[in-house]
Amino acid sequence: MKKHSRLLFSALLLQLIGIAAFAQTAKNDLSLSVSYFNNNNQLHYLVAHAKSKIDGKFQMIPNINVSFYIGSETPANLLGKGVTNNKGECLVLIPPAAKQEWNKSAKPGFIVVSQTTKQFDESKGTLDVTKAKIQIDTAADRKVTAVLLELKDTVWTPVKGVDVKIAVKRLGGDFNIAETPTYATDSLGMVSAEYKRDSLPGDAKGNLIIVAKVEDNDLYGNLSSEKMVPWGKYYPYKSEFDKRTLFARRGKSPIWLELMAYSIVAAVWAVLFFLFGQIRKLKRLGI
Amino acid sequence: MESIAKQKIIEDLLPQKFGKAGKIWVGALLVVCAIGFFAYCRQLSKGLVVTSMRDYASWGIYISNFVFFVAISLVGSLITAVLRLSDVHWSTPLTRIAEIIAVSAITFASIIIIVDMGRPDRFYNLFIHGRLQSPIVWDVIVITTYFFVSLLLLYFPMLPDLAILMKFKEKTGAGLNKMYSFLGSFWKNTPEQIHISEKAINLLSITIIPVAFAIHTVTSWLFATTYRPGWDSTNFGAYFISGAFLVGAGGVVVAMFVFRKAYHLEKYITDSHFDKMGKVLVLLALLYLYFNVNEFLVPAFKMKKPEEEHLLGLFTGEFAPVFWFAITTAMIIPILILLFKKGRKPLPAFVAGCLVVIGSWFKRYLIVTPTLLHPFLPMQDVPASYRHYFPSWEEWAIAIGSLAGALLIITIFARIFPIIPIQETITETEQHEHEKA
Repeated sequence: MKKHSRLLFSALLLQLIGIAAFAQTAKNDLSLSVSYFNNNNQLHYLVAHAKSKIDGKFQMIPNINVSFYIGSETPANLLGKGVTNNKGECLVLIPPAAKQEWNKSAKPGFIVVSQTTKQFDESKGTLDVTKAKIQIDTAADRKVTAVLLELKDTVWTPVKGVDVKIAVKRLGGDFNIAETPTYATDSLGMVSAEYKRDSLPGDAKGNLIIVAKVEDNDLYGNLSSEKMVPWGKYYPYKSEFDKRTLFARRGKSPIWLELMAYSIVAAVWAVLFFLFGQIRKLKRLGI
Repeated sequence: MESIAKQKIIEDLLPQKFGKAGKIWVGALLVVCAIGFFAYCRQLSKGLVVTSMRDYASWGIYISNFVFFVAISLVGSLITAVLRLSDVHWSTPLTRIAEIIAVSAITFASIIIIVDMGRPDRFYNLFIHGRLQSPIVWDVIVITTYFFVSLLLLYFPMLPDLAILMKFKEKTGAGLNKMYSFLGSFWKNTPEQIHISEKAINLLSITIIPVAFAIHTVTSWLFATTYRPGWDSTNFGAYFISGAFLVGAGGVVVAMFVFRKAYHLEKYITDSHFDKMGKVLVLLALLYLYFNVNEFLVPAFKMKKPEEEHLLGLFTGEFAPVFWFAITTAMIIPILILLFKKGRKPLPAFVAGCLVVIGSWFKRYLIVTPTLLHPFLPMQDVPASYRHYFPSWEEWAIAIGSLAGALLIITIFARIFPIIPIQETITETEQHEHEKA
């Protein structure tokens, strides 16, 4: 009997250990990736993306601590640290302090590392980019040209056959300047497009921002270059405040409403006053 | 016409003192009004918190009552104006009943709006700071106008009767005679006076129709100009007016029966009047039913997500018992009763009229409150009492008190003035006999 109890106890213990071990290994895999951005050939930054497959669907994972490195994963090469937001993204600017490491190669490599959490183990993502830049130019006849160059050793060389997007920068995104959204670069690394939009609202001086972009390219990442041009139109803001509108304050109702309302009221009350007069007339006749 | 017959009509139609039942009726109405007044005093001292109205259901049975009063007041224009202009003479004995219902209802519609205000002492601000763009201001203007038009339409046809009443001082009493004298001593029944009076009545009959349409259309716009489930309808003006004519006609049928019984007016309010009013009521009930089908079937067919909760709440949810009760009692049962000749006899017509009035009151409640409890955005982080509405005893007391008040005006009016026009009845009887001869 005692032997049986011991056996039962040992089996239970083993089961509990098994459950605990399973609970520890039941973590989801975290997929970490990194993108490179170069805006106007001046601002360089990296964006880490954390996602995981939960219930058969990829979901963006917030609140993951991530560290960015250039070249190798050493404290000296640390670019910055951050926490992913609700979109599972974390942005880090490449600091001037990394200039030395950046200049070492024409094809720098980036590493992003996440810390271990309760739900996820440590994860790592890497990216190698070829240094490249876009130069944008415009002509008086509303022609836009952009040249894509990559750094080979120490020489900027034109790149052929890469899709470049040419658009007008708007508040909610990019707006094509013509029917075609993207153009492939020629042997000179050049694309050209004609601005065909008319009367697009610009800033107070009628200026628009034309942008040339390479997006999510395997070699170059995300490159963009902007130029301000006076091709837009200035639409002065017309405030409706304190004007005669249906939603204005008292005494500022639209004229048409006042005319209609007052004329109806006047017509009906004219009849009523006429009838009050008729009562007086009846009284006079009865005296 | 022989003066004996004329004398008989006058004797029959002179206002009579209250009997035992009349005194009990007036006493009961006064008690109900007093309870309502007491409840209102509580509301004034403690604020609107004594009601069950909260952030969401901010319009409860006060506004339902307001819409009901405005609706029933429209009967003045239907019976007096529409039938008069159509040269329909059978409605003559009913005109004064319709007009006093209109005046008393519109009076209490104005009062109940003030009751609904948390700070009635600020009521004057509506006139000083009112925005012409707001349908609430249109409602204030049109209700005031309709009140005066109805009052004049009550007054002008009564002038010849006042002259008759003054001749019966010993019967009516000195106090009342003074009032008759103040109101109509100048009436000498001269051809010129008759001509002016008839012209004025015709002018009023023409004026009151658009004003009556305006009053209830504007009331419907208080709802329809806001974007809410159940109110967002282009049909609301016509829907409200058809419903108003129905409840008004139902009210007249009820009043006809009560006055006929109380004052023994069987000779003047005949079975034929019930038959004809019964037919009018069926027509109006069918019309209102048609608008109801439009108002509910079309949105239910589409069942747009934001309106689904509101519609299902009415059809099968928490408001379903009241909804189906209102549809059945205000329209379907009265139609079934009044479609048959036997159903248009006085008693069944009276029952149908009562059903129409009661069902219509609940219909107004269904127009106002369920919509407020089903906003487009979900109700979050609010106390449980905000999610439902059931009137407090103060609200019931005030609402029932206002209904009693309207009935009291009608009762007292019938005690002071002839509820059936005496002179018009004499003239029409004379004409009738002349045509016979």
